[in-house]
Formats: sequence, structure tokens, C-alpha cells
Amino acid sequence: MSAVDWLILALRVLIPLGVILTVVPMLGWAERRGAGLIQDRPGPNRVGPYGLLQLPVDAVKFFFKEDVIPANSDKVLYVLAPGIAVFAALTTFAVIPYGASLPAAGRDIPLIGADLSIGVLYVFALTSLSVYGIVLAGWASNNKFSLMGGLRSSAQIISYELAMTTAAAGVILSSSSLRLPDIIWAQERLWLGFLPRWNVVPQFLGFVVFFVSAFAETNRVPFDLPEADAELVGGYHTEYSAMKFAMFMMAEYVNIVVACALTVTLYFGGWSLPGFHPEGIVGAIVSILIFSAKTLFFVLVFIWVRWTLPRFRYDQLMRIGWKALLPLALVNLLWVAALILVRWI
Amino acid sequence: MERLVFDAAAALTILFAGLMVMHPHPVKSVLALVVSFFGLAVCYVMLSAPFIAAIQVIVYAGAILVLFLFVLMLLNVGEETRGRERPIQRWLSAAALLVFAGLLLGLLRAHGASAPLSFGPLSGDVAPLARLLFSRYLLPFEALSVLLLAALVGAFVLAQREKGA
Repeated sequence: MSAVDWLILALRVLIPLGVILTVVPMLGWAERRGAGLIQDRPGPNRVGPYGLLQLPVDAVKFFFKEDVIPANSDKVLYVLAPGIAVFAALTTFAVIPYGASLPAAGRDIPLIGADLSIGVLYVFALTSLSVYGIVLAGWASNNKFSLMGGLRSSAQIISYELAMTTAAAGVILSSSSLRLPDIIWAQERLWLGFLPRWNVVPQFLGFVVFFVSAFAETNRVPFDLPEADAELVGGYHTEYSAMKFAMFMMAEYVNIVVACALTVTLYFGGWSLPGFHPEGIVGAIVSILIFSAKTLFFVLVFIWVRWTLPRFRYDQLMRIGWKALLPLALVNLLWVAALILVRWI
Repeated sequence: MERLVFDAAAALTILFAGLMVMHPHPVKSVLALVVSFFGLAVCYVMLSAPFIAAIQVIVYAGAILVLFLFVLMLLNVGEETRGRERPIQRWLSAAALLVFAGLLLGLLRAHGASAPLSFGPLSGDVAPLARLLFSRYLLPFEALSVLLLAALVGAFVLAQREKGA
């Protein structure tokens, strides 16, 4: 590989990383303003226009607060846990295609960090590892509330991962590939000349199961039992302060962005749009914008849901996961298999 | 380069597998096993079997070991206290180690490595694997699923009996 190739590879990986790390604190602002909007109150509006300067102020605050490590905690794991959470969240984005290929420097540059042949499985492998950050934080803190949070998290993620992967298996089946770019290409054409061939149309059930499970996987309301501030103080991050606490917040928002990007890729055609054929640099940029707009829409749905629904009880959470979502995901899988058998998709 | 990564991952796998056995704290043991499985996954990737690597991480590191951790945390198991050791236990374990090392070496010498390690490009094609699994190895595959089902039913029966008593 020449120096230019290395440079292109670095940019392909680093630019989306930088964008995510910039967007994530802004999501914190969007969440608080969204909460204000939904609950009919202003939200943060004092620092800067629309309270936008609240972001840098909060960041500075996180950096300069005292970093407390409890005396009886397991020090190594306590420090390691937030790192694991952020690492697992950030590396997931590497395989998600964020645009059509970009013709530049005499090459056709694919707009994806790493085009793995097992892209979907890579994402699930890393999200299944992200639970360790939370579980270890809960255990290493040596605090009963933290431990309860970690316990809940491990049980919850195992339960919902099953439904999530089974739902995604439907998409893999219909596009007969584990590569995410292939899955997007399979959704590119039209039905009857106007309906986009997005997976959400034949697999609406699968989409619902996947999206609901995504809420549970990212520990968001109504499935935020590991945190559950009304019962567990702060759940797994009760003992965390300063930047370590901020890292858990960061991991949560990065997970949301990744879950939404994955939903868009699997069910809503990723960067593609019916009738849009990306050509040249402009086409590539437009495709990135399409992808960002779709992802942002689902991120806003995440915020909307958080301030609209109450939290589930723990037994309800387990019942929904095992008795509702998993059977529905299996029905969806059979349905997709039947559709393929009669050659409708 | 590939060889180097493979060797490093293999060494990491063995090192942390040893740590898993030695460590007195069960939670740390599980974590060592996680790292060990991760190293194993890297080995699979270097042997151009990314699908197996992903499944290894999803199933073992992501699901089964999380369950282990769940149980350990639920019972809040502390460091294990070493019971009274008899000197003969050490001798026996050393003898067992020698026997198995000898067996392994003998097997390797008799059959040898059938093919040298190959580090091809990442193909990750699932289709040939699936074809083999559902044709040539169909019977073992189904037998395995029945075995797992039997374990599941067994666990269920045990749990029910406890409730009735």
C-alpha cells in the first residue's frame, strides 16, 4: 500500500470517529432541550444562544471535578470499566457504511471504515462485549446499588440480544449476505416502480422487534433498569464521578447513534434513496447527508421515547423479552423464509 | 506479519487460560477466560475464518460468560479459600500433566500437522460452511441440538422439583 492509500484509510476511519465524538455531546444538549420541549419547560437556555454553550461548560466541569475512586473498590477493574464501555461503543461504527463510494485521487474510495465480510456479526460481537463495561463497573464499585445495576444489565442484555439477532437474521436471510454494503445494495431497487425496496416493508415485524431490542441494548427508557435512578440511585455508575462518569454517558450516546445507524442500514436502505443514483463527489456527499438524516431521525425518536414512556418493572421487562419479542422475531424469520420460498423477495 | 499476530494471540490465549485456572477469585477467573476467548477469536481471524471468530465472541464471550458473571455476582462469591492440600495431590497432578503432554506430543508426531498454517485473505464465506453443516455433518449437528435440548429439559425438571418440595 502506498502512502496515499494509508492516508485515505486513516481519513476513512478517523473522520466518522471525529464526527461521532462531536455529535455525542450535542446529543446531550438535544436530549435536555427535547425533554424541556416535551415536558413544557425551557430546558438549558442560559449559557449562549439556545443554551448551546452548555456543552463546553459541562465538558470543562467533567474534566475538573474531583475523580473519586472508592476505597474498597477493585481499583483496576473500576478504572478499566468505563474504558471498555467507550471502546466497545466506538469500534462498532467501523463497519457501518456511511455513504456511497467517493471517486477521488484516481480511486473509488468506499465510505466505510472496514468492509468486513461478516459486518453484521462484527457489530453484534462488539455490542455483546459492551455489557462487560457495565457489569464490571457494577461489580468493581463494591456498592450494592451498583451491583444490582450490573446484575440487571447482564440479564437484560442476554435476553434482548437473542431477540435482536433473530430479527436481524431475517435481513441477513433476505439479502443473503453478512456484508453491510451488500445489505444496502439489496434494498436499492423499487417495488412497482415507486415503493422503496427497504427491508422494513416486508419485515415490519422484524423491524419493530429490532428497534425495541435496541432500546434495551442501549439501556434507554423504558428499559433503563440497570440505571433506574428511582430505585438504584444511579445503578452501575453510582460510584463514578468526573470524567469516568462522563465516559459512561458518552458510551450510552455512542451506542444510541450506532443502534440507529444499524437500524437505518438494515431496514431503511442505509445511504440509498429511491431514484437517487450517487455519481461523483456530489453524489457521495449527498449519500452521506441522506444517511445522517435518517440516523438523526431515529436518534430523535430515542429521545422522544425517553421522555414519553415510563420505565418497565423488572418482571415486565423479562416477560416482554422472552414471551413477546423472541416469538415475534421467530415468526418474522419464518415469514421471510416463506417469502423467499415463493420468490416475492 | 500474519504469523506474528497469530503467535501473539495464541500466546495471549494460553497465558490467560492459565491465569483463569490459577486465579483465586472466581470473577477474575471469568474475566481471564474472556480475554482468552478473545485471543482465540483473533487466531480464527488470522486463519481466515472470520465467521467462526465472530460466533466465538458472540456466543462464548458475549453470552455464556456473561451468564457466568451473572451467577457469580448474584451469589456474590468471594475469593476461594484454599482447602487443606495433601502432597500426593501435587504428585498426581504432575503425573497427569506428563501423561497428557506425552499423548499430545505422540499424536502430533504420528499424524503431524496435516497442512501448514495458511494465512489467506479473509474470505469469510459462510455458504461452504453451511453446506457442510447441513449435508455431511447433518447427523452430528442434529444430535448436538437434541443434546442441548435434553440439558434444557433436565434443568427445567430440576427447577420444578425444587419448587414442588
